[in-house]
Amino acid sequence: MATALKRREPESDRWVQSVCKMCLHTCGILVHVENGVVTKIEGDPTNPDNLGKLCPKGNVGMLRLYDPKRVKAPMVRTNPEKGPGVDPGWKEISWDEAMDLAAGKLKAIRETDPRKLLVASGDFNRIFNWAWPAAFGSPHFFSTVGQYCGAAYHPINGITDTSFAVVNDYEYCNYWLQIGSGDGFSSHLHLPGSANRMADARMRGMRVVTVEPRMSPAAAKADEWVPIRPGTDRAFALGLMHSMVFEHELYDREFLKTRTNAPYLIGPDGSYALSADGKAMVWDPAGGKAREWDDPEIGDFALEGRYDVNGVPCAPGFQLFREIVEDHTPERMEEVCTVPAATMRRLARELGEAARFGETIMLEGKEYPFRPAAVNYYRGAIAHADGGLDSMALKMLNTLLGNIDVPGGHLGVPLDIRGFFIEPGEHGMLKPNPHILHPPVPFKFPADSLQMMEWFPLGMDAGHIAVDAVLNPERYRLEYVPEVLLTYHSNPVWNMPAQEKVRRAMATFTYVISIDVVINETTEWADLILPDHTYLESTLAVSCEPPVVKGLSLRQPAIPPIHNTRDATDILIDIADRCGFLDVWNGFLNFLLGITAREDLMLAPDRKYANEDIMDRFCRATYDDDHDLEWFKEHGHMVTKRNAAETYLPYDGLRIPFYYEVIKTAGDELRAQFAGTGYEWDTSNYVPLPFWKDGPIHGEDPDYPLYAITFKTAETNFAENMSIPIISKLTSGAAQTRGVLLNPVTAGRLGVADGDPIAIVSRFGRVEGDAALSEGVHPDTVAVSNALTRSLGGKKGTHFNTLLPAELEYTDNFSGALESVARVRVEKAGKEAA
Amino acid sequence: MTRWGMVLDLARCIGCNACTVACKIENGTPPDAYWARVYTEETGTYPDTKTTYVPALCNHCEDAPCVTVCPTKASYKRDDGIVMIDQNLCIGCRACMMACPYSNRFYLRKGVLETGYHGERTDFEELKWALFQEGTVNKCTFCAHRVDEGLEPACVITCPTDARIFGDLADEDSNVSVLIRERNGRQPSPELGTNPSVYYVEER
Repeated sequence: MATALKRREPESDRWVQSVCKMCLHTCGILVHVENGVVTKIEGDPTNPDNLGKLCPKGNVGMLRLYDPKRVKAPMVRTNPEKGPGVDPGWKEISWDEAMDLAAGKLKAIRETDPRKLLVASGDFNRIFNWAWPAAFGSPHFFSTVGQYCGAAYHPINGITDTSFAVVNDYEYCNYWLQIGSGDGFSSHLHLPGSANRMADARMRGMRVVTVEPRMSPAAAKADEWVPIRPGTDRAFALGLMHSMVFEHELYDREFLKTRTNAPYLIGPDGSYALSADGKAMVWDPAGGKAREWDDPEIGDFALEGRYDVNGVPCAPGFQLFREIVEDHTPERMEEVCTVPAATMRRLARELGEAARFGETIMLEGKEYPFRPAAVNYYRGAIAHADGGLDSMALKMLNTLLGNIDVPGGHLGVPLDIRGFFIEPGEHGMLKPNPHILHPPVPFKFPADSLQMMEWFPLGMDAGHIAVDAVLNPERYRLEYVPEVLLTYHSNPVWNMPAQEKVRRAMATFTYVISIDVVINETTEWADLILPDHTYLESTLAVSCEPPVVKGLSLRQPAIPPIHNTRDATDILIDIADRCGFLDVWNGFLNFLLGITAREDLMLAPDRKYANEDIMDRFCRATYDDDHDLEWFKEHGHMVTKRNAAETYLPYDGLRIPFYYEVIKTAGDELRAQFAGTGYEWDTSNYVPLPFWKDGPIHGEDPDYPLYAITFKTAETNFAENMSIPIISKLTSGAAQTRGVLLNPVTAGRLGVADGDPIAIVSRFGRVEGDAALSEGVHPDTVAVSNALTRSLGGKKGTHFNTLLPAELEYTDNFSGALESVARVRVEKAGKEAA
Repeated sequence: MTRWGMVLDLARCIGCNACTVACKIENGTPPDAYWARVYTEETGTYPDTKTTYVPALCNHCEDAPCVTVCPTKASYKRDDGIVMIDQNLCIGCRACMMACPYSNRFYLRKGVLETGYHGERTDFEELKWALFQEGTVNKCTFCAHRVDEGLEPACVITCPTDARIFGDLADEDSNVSVLIRERNGRQPSPELGTNPSVYYVEER
């Protein structure tokens, strides 16, 4: 308290325009400071992103600022014994001492083998700092970088239209099918603005159908809830596609012919059949022959049929799709996903009818296809062991509707201020870009990275594989042993799967350094903590996954830091300087922040820059010298609504994939690279078209008959917020978060009553909790809110991730997605299984 | 004469609790007081289940039984319809809590304010909780301090879906009057005869 009083501002009452960071998105905020104390946070009404709205988390940010569990100064552990619940015996030290300690450890590692440093980063707002380990020479990610949220989603989006995320068109969509996603209702992209747009869309009559094992807010507000067995959304999508193509013939043939590669001829090897000039070809039924894709003489594009072109048998990609989907009948898919075949048929028809094939709309002087029916999906639908196939199937459901990036349809969302990455690719296609978080990592055997990024040419960093590799180096032919862990706004001991393995891995590290704001499950293992400012005390120009809008906003200190903390960006620069790679890191920052666009602003290799200076250069390089840091301090943001040309078909004239030839080809290359290594590496998911196959969690499993899922609520989207008393108190008695949700029929069969203590047991772990019976849960499902998962303050949480594996067998070999559904049995707590 | 009122749109509300939290921060209410809140109602049998989110707050009744019953005139109604409590007059007898049919009043027990949210009082609680007296009753004020400045209540401005709409019931052309008329707004438990200034609308 005393520290804070000394630092109080002379002004007694003011509002500071800034940016939220209670989740990874970047809503505009106004922060009220009275007598030097942050007393209120409101949405910034001048920001067209969140329109003055805030979610519950954004409203309560000052309780993190004032959390007594904040790390108030650099601290070292005095107790050498480590483990959950073991008091580290923290001792405060000076920043000089702390940086000497950190840099000493890291410099020694870097001079022997930089690969011995593992980094876990989770700060999505300063995603540029994710590259810091690479500048150090460490290729690892020891944290969740999407393996159970977007790992299978982002690569398919990037390959399709260079987007990072996607969401349906709030403004023009009339029929919104929501599958395993909280968009517009409870989570994902910029919740306050999205919820506002969704509510407006529903009020103007947009129909919402929600497919989900649990009655989420999206299901509660939908016109129709379609319960589904967890982890089977692809079967549902395939059943719909079968019905659209074979039963209703309701799909956008014109879109497929003219805006995708669906008509491109595929040879017997699964790749494009090329002309003598190396061009992709199509079959022209008008001319009765194959022509190069851009031949001006093309009369029509065949989508069906098998053809012989110069002695080579080939078929349009769409024909191959038909042949796969033909036996994925709604009846067969019903057996997998439990959604009645008649429901799938009806929804396929409703979607097709709502899509208004052939209609166009004039927007800002340009005519666009108008397809106001779209399928929106996220984590629940695609975070699975065959997630790439899931993601592809759901994307193709939209492509069949002809709605990709057109008014009313399924719209790409860029990761950040860089926007989309539009370049012409081969054969008239948009150049695919699955590598939005970092550039591709070239193949290497054995791999340098513990998450085997070298073996995922299109996927994302599967941090859980790093856990497995630390414990089983021989399995991956590792040539070194990681020694030091640096966590940066990351809590792997809580957010990683397979907790038993994570703890064993943690015990192998000789030194753990944490850069963070509060004490949590991971900092408990640290040897040294370097405390960062909170977002209410720091400066950052930022834009993260904004649907609908574009432009940088400025986070600026509402008050000066109340503790002896330093900005994490400055900490990392300081370590780079002390370890002797400042030149490399400055070069990375130039590139990552787009400062390379302005040679005069570029960071010199040998100079140490402060965060604010770098932010100033970032702003000026993004805009111009008038829009420098001072301008942003005064005006807050440059956020504007994206116009029609920026939103709809920004790559107009280039085709997008329907047949994912690029994925199939990447698999071929990967197999060739592994040839001769004698190493077995599964590449079976590098396929151009989706299909159903049972994954590791499907089928009869008498020992583990139920399917455990986890979910977020608006209050706990990013359950780190459970350390905030108002949030934890709100969720403790609430309908969806009061306990482990079970259908009453299932509970009755198990002899479990509401409130009974239960154990949930998977092949990988066992957790306990209290049963909460709900008619809003599919009978096969055990639903565990992330609000239950924290084990803070001596509370024993129902830690869902303990139920999950960290095994390759449960990992999508294409995307790196981890199976996020666990097969489980439920027992009364303390008793043996019946 | 203005009569402030609120319409709660059940079609729009997604049960996110932004209102609950915004109210707690704006008014710095004690830990157990939820002037604004959202109930979740689950009805039906799987798979024909229905979940409804019902936001709630003090109804600022025209004929407020809590005001009538108060022995010290601590509870009073302003000319603009807002029902308030003067903590300096409140003796904590809690007759008003018995009288309120909507459970919209909260008693602040002695000792509650001694420890803060995190177990110790921080700068936030020092500043915000200074407005509360232990041993008295508190309730939603329609954010009268904001309304007097021409601002809408905190729960209204933050609501992501615009499910809370604030306005003048006495003006038949106001946002709230039009909504109530066009979407068949109904008061909670009108049979109790308290004439609430809060209305619910359902069908979109």
